[in-house]
Amino acid sequence: MELHNALGFPILTLSIFLPLLGAMGIWLFVRGDNAVRWATLSVAVLTFLVTLPLALQFDTTTAHMQFEEFHQWIPAFNINYQLGVDGISMPFIILTSLLTIICVISAWNCIQSRVKEYMMAFLVLETTLIGVFSALDAMLFYFFWEAMLIPMYLIIGIWGGKNRVYATIKFFLYTLAGSVLMLLAILAMYFKAGETFSMLAFMDYPFDFDWQFWIFIAFFAAFAVKVPMWPVHTWLPDAHTEAPTAGSVILAGILLKMGAYGFLRFSLPMLPDASQYFVPFMVALSLVAIIYISLVAMMQTDMKRLIAYSSIAHMGFVTLGTFMFTQVALEGAVINMISHGFVAAALFLCVGVMYDRLHTREIGDYGGVVNVMPVFAAVMLFFCMANVALPGSSAFIGEIMVLVGTFSADPVGMDMSTKWVAIGAATSIVLSACYTLWMYKRVIMGDLVKDSVKSMQDMTVREFGFFVPLMLLVLWMGFYPLPVLEVMHVSVAHLIEQATTSKLDAAVLAQALPAIDAAHH
Amino acid sequence: MANVTFPFPFPEHLITLLPEMIVAIMAMFLLLFDVFVSKERKTMTPYLAILTVIVAGIGTTCLRPEQTLVAFYGFFVFDQFAVFAKLLIYAATALAMVISIDHMKDEENVGEYYVLMLFAMLGMMLMVSSNNFITMYLGLELMALSVYVLVGYQRDVLRSNEAALKYFILGALSSCMLLYGVTFLYGVSGSFEFTAMGQGLNAAGSSADFAVLLGLVFLIAGLGFKVSMAPFHMWTPDAYEGAPTPITAFMSVAPKVAGLVVFMRIVVDALPALQHEYTTILTIMAVLSMTVGNLAAIAQRNIKRMLAYSTIGHVGFITLGLIAATPEGYAGILVYMSIYLFMTMGVFAIIILMRREGIQGELLDDFAGLSRVRPGYALAMGLFLFSLGGIPFLAGFWGKYVVFIAAVEAGHLYLVLYALLFSAVGAFYYIRVVKYIYFDEERVAFNFVENRLMQVTVAVTAIAVVVLGVYPEPLLNLCRQALGGLV
Repeated sequence: MELHNALGFPILTLSIFLPLLGAMGIWLFVRGDNAVRWATLSVAVLTFLVTLPLALQFDTTTAHMQFEEFHQWIPAFNINYQLGVDGISMPFIILTSLLTIICVISAWNCIQSRVKEYMMAFLVLETTLIGVFSALDAMLFYFFWEAMLIPMYLIIGIWGGKNRVYATIKFFLYTLAGSVLMLLAILAMYFKAGETFSMLAFMDYPFDFDWQFWIFIAFFAAFAVKVPMWPVHTWLPDAHTEAPTAGSVILAGILLKMGAYGFLRFSLPMLPDASQYFVPFMVALSLVAIIYISLVAMMQTDMKRLIAYSSIAHMGFVTLGTFMFTQVALEGAVINMISHGFVAAALFLCVGVMYDRLHTREIGDYGGVVNVMPVFAAVMLFFCMANVALPGSSAFIGEIMVLVGTFSADPVGMDMSTKWVAIGAATSIVLSACYTLWMYKRVIMGDLVKDSVKSMQDMTVREFGFFVPLMLLVLWMGFYPLPVLEVMHVSVAHLIEQATTSKLDAAVLAQALPAIDAAHH
Repeated sequence: MANVTFPFPFPEHLITLLPEMIVAIMAMFLLLFDVFVSKERKTMTPYLAILTVIVAGIGTTCLRPEQTLVAFYGFFVFDQFAVFAKLLIYAATALAMVISIDHMKDEENVGEYYVLMLFAMLGMMLMVSSNNFITMYLGLELMALSVYVLVGYQRDVLRSNEAALKYFILGALSSCMLLYGVTFLYGVSGSFEFTAMGQGLNAAGSSADFAVLLGLVFLIAGLGFKVSMAPFHMWTPDAYEGAPTPITAFMSVAPKVAGLVVFMRIVVDALPALQHEYTTILTIMAVLSMTVGNLAAIAQRNIKRMLAYSTIGHVGFITLGLIAATPEGYAGILVYMSIYLFMTMGVFAIIILMRREGIQGELLDDFAGLSRVRPGYALAMGLFLFSLGGIPFLAGFWGKYVVFIAAVEAGHLYLVLYALLFSAVGAFYYIRVVKYIYFDEERVAFNFVENRLMQVTVAVTAIAVVVLGVYPEPLLNLCRQALGGLV
């Protein structure tokens, strides 16, 4: 087997296990809260530096997997340790390692109890996330996917808000129920495709329609919960509200992307015919997410809940773009995911900044914050505008690409013109402005009447520090998204080709072949 | 089956029986030893008992036969399969003894406790080596009678007495059912020996349908009772709760191993002609076990009761391996049991540690806030619980995986779907314990007495759970090899 690895050393393994080793080292050797904070930060920065060559050395001319690694792991079941990234997964790895640094910094002062466990949980979480995005063996993917539950369960449950236990158990059970079905789907593919777990082999194997249909449903159960799509989204507002700020950041920034990434990595290339068949269904759910959930967001009185619902609405754009089968829409979906990683993360951090001062997330408890925190008000305005997808922000690029791609798309499974879908989705531009700016108005603008608000201090340098890189990234992707688009161009084109090439003829052939063979003998 | 039968009963036959003889002699010696030595010397009894188990383990490993040896005119079989099962039973017994030492040291006549454990182990050794319903029944009763007494060991504790009595009455009833079923099968086939009975049943064909079916149902009911399959699980929660905690640990692993191994031998050798019938019955029992075990566990406040129901659920999952009726399925059962051994022993070791001044430490509330006081124990307990819940990278996942994949391969897709859903339900009550440990505030002060032996036990089992979770390949191969004796 030929492995494409331009670097010649196992960079993905290093990226995955460096945080885990760091967590173990911190557990065993580091004493004292401050030492733990600095140690964690160094591990996170080191991991980010290690992942950087993935972007710098990335070959944008091929859709082939890169930086591949392959080792036999459990030959008894033909489970292999197979890693590799393409233009779709690589950006998420960088995003993960970057957001982890921001999470660590954001937790610097607001986490005071059990600092060591908190930091360890985050590093373990980073390991599982990078693992999910680089696994090319379906079982390995499943392991990282499931293992992610443990640190996240603890993060929400230990350091969350009042209702944390309810939220974390709901989170755990929803995701576990979904992934159990995913395991079944993976097993079904394993037997069908000749006892292999290689995701690349699954992409090549001609599954017939019935198999694709059921496997798609099983995968849908797992991915839709993670995205989350309406109607299985209800764990997200609870988990977000109760999670500590950094937990919300990683949840919105990375975890939600895992579901959409699953659709891109499994459903589209492995089950193209079922994916086409389910287009109307997926489009309908995406539109519900965009329109209905936006309306729900408008009615929230808790800022974190509002941003959580806004996340669901934005993920509606992602699933919509994913199931349009056009280059522009799909690239838009990926850009949307990355952009949402920055913007939602920043908005949760904004709420965190206010929460650290007043210990309330209720919109009604604020008002006139601009008078005491002018710098903060400006920063929050910036990210609110990005959430509304104002031109010049990264979200604008993502949404406009999805809309344009949808407008011109012609997926096989749709009877209706996609123009109407695009028009429906475009209402989000108005609706997101409504809920975001209305929240901004009630929280930041107005007269200073509440005594508690009067006592608020403006941001410290450290707090301002973690917004700067996010602002720069939002602007950079808003004005010059070409480098990111170039990275995924070839991979997305390859994916579109896989997703629009029916496997049914090959499946008929594969079934007929033994019979023909038998006839010959 | 490639049998090498010795021409004479002595002395070669005795060699195959050497580990059993060591255990029997040592058990009787310890009984006398405990009576005649001074009070200070009595503290040696547990260590001598553990030494006996280790010697038996070395003996079994050294005598490990390449081929299947059938001794004593077909009454006793010694093969890779029996060797593997015995090693599991030794491990369970030895670990249960280790975690008993401190817990039981204030009980009266504690020497007998270890002697009874040795006798129970001897019974199980006979069971897994039996090739004949007579040997099997002897082993089974030796085990069962010893365990009845062990469950009721704390004579002055009311619930211990209650548990022992319930267990005894239901256990005696189930033994009757088992015997009753065997008589029917014997009547039709004309033999007590497993293989001969299989041939007899095959030859009888459909002429004796009713008698065979009746016999089969009673046989499975009797065996199902011993391994706590629903609907014959009623005794389990009471017996688990009432028994001294090390005995709960012991009986949730060792007798289950012995029972399932005998179950496998019987279905492979004696019942191949009835595969359709017994898989149908077992499917119903598996579904019931998974449902009852996992749902009832949610309602428990006492962790020993919760683990009793969880055992029922796990036995339901394991039954899928029997239903698959393939070598992969049987290997899966061995893998599952090996992994279950470590998880369960670890969990019970921690439960034993929870007993502190004035409280038993068996309620979920007693675990509240453990992570703040003893992060090491909390981490280990978390690992065991996530492993029992089947989260990957921990050993428990592989146990489920191997039996599920065998069942899928054998065409039981819907059953596996059901099992998967209930393993998700099961995860709920395991992670709820993690909730108490990590999320809640301390309610009852933790004033542990340090105990090096327990710490080592917890560490060893926790490491085993992680190592087997990350790299299960050697265990998988070992279990496949062990099947060489069976199929």
